[in-house]
Amino acid sequence: MRKLFPALVCGFGAGVLQVVPFMKSFACCLIIPAAALFSIVLDQKANNTYERVEVRKGLMLGLLTGLFAATFSTTFEILITLITKNNDMVLSFGELQNFLSGIPIPEDVKNEVFSMFSGMVEEIKTTGFSMFYTSITLMNSLITNVLFGIIGGIFGTQYWNAKVIKRNREE
Amino acid sequence: MTLRNKIILSFLVLIWCLGIFIEFLIPFINSLAFVHPFLKNIYSNVCHQNQEKLLTFSSYSTFTCARCTGIYIGSLISSIFLIFFVISNELKFKYFVFAGIPMLLDVIFYHIGLYTYSKIVAFSTGILLGSIAFIYLYIGFQKLLSKVS
Repeated sequence: MRKLFPALVCGFGAGVLQVVPFMKSFACCLIIPAAALFSIVLDQKANNTYERVEVRKGLMLGLLTGLFAATFSTTFEILITLITKNNDMVLSFGELQNFLSGIPIPEDVKNEVFSMFSGMVEEIKTTGFSMFYTSITLMNSLITNVLFGIIGGIFGTQYWNAKVIKRNREE
Repeated sequence: MTLRNKIILSFLVLIWCLGIFIEFLIPFINSLAFVHPFLKNIYSNVCHQNQEKLLTFSSYSTFTCARCTGIYIGSLISSIFLIFFVISNELKFKYFVFAGIPMLLDVIFYHIGLYTYSKIVAFSTGILLGSIAFIYLYIGFQKLLSKVS
């Protein structure tokens, strides 16, 4: 459990920041990689070591950070949707309708896409919860957060090892 | 890294970049309309998707802002470049910092109101950072694969 702590803490922080509108506008794609980098730094400080980190370990920490971030951000997203009975997908449904109306694709394709999502939108507007939306959000969060967590983990490893090399040279 | 692994990595980056431009492909491949909301939701995890900052042409726009699109296109350019060229396993982190400075300055200057948002500037600073950042990612994968094999 102690080994998971850095990833858990950083993943939680990233999950919270991902649902804060201002932070998303400012830092968007950097949140998860930065969290993965911090989890590597935190792990080294927690173990009181200042040695080179293996890429494999950095990748694992990044993956776990992304996993935790996905779990927390999805949970917060679902809770906010439950309370407000609104979310980005509901708001963008109108845009989707406008977009598909304006492009040259067959009517039956448009109708199928609309019917697929209008049910979800109605559920959210009335009850605040949709299993379909929850599944999509969780799946999408897992894909992107784990991917960017791995990227951040690899980056974090490079950054940390560069720091260690520089410190060893100074000593 | 073997040629096969380099090509796989480039292909994965290409798939990610193509997803950003899916609206442009829907008129040609109509069935992509079904994945439009899913993909938009995926990219919403990595970009704010503010309408005024997206790259638009006619009624089509990208799923990520000009800056993020530049980052991913820069990564794609580097991934293709690295298929043909070999780089060392050690690269100083300062090049990444230098590549990020124009973007950081652009974000700061725009937010303090020094100038209005420019998609061209955002895209250009994104390409610079993305192309350099990908090289560090590539080195990381190279080290990982050399240990695994």
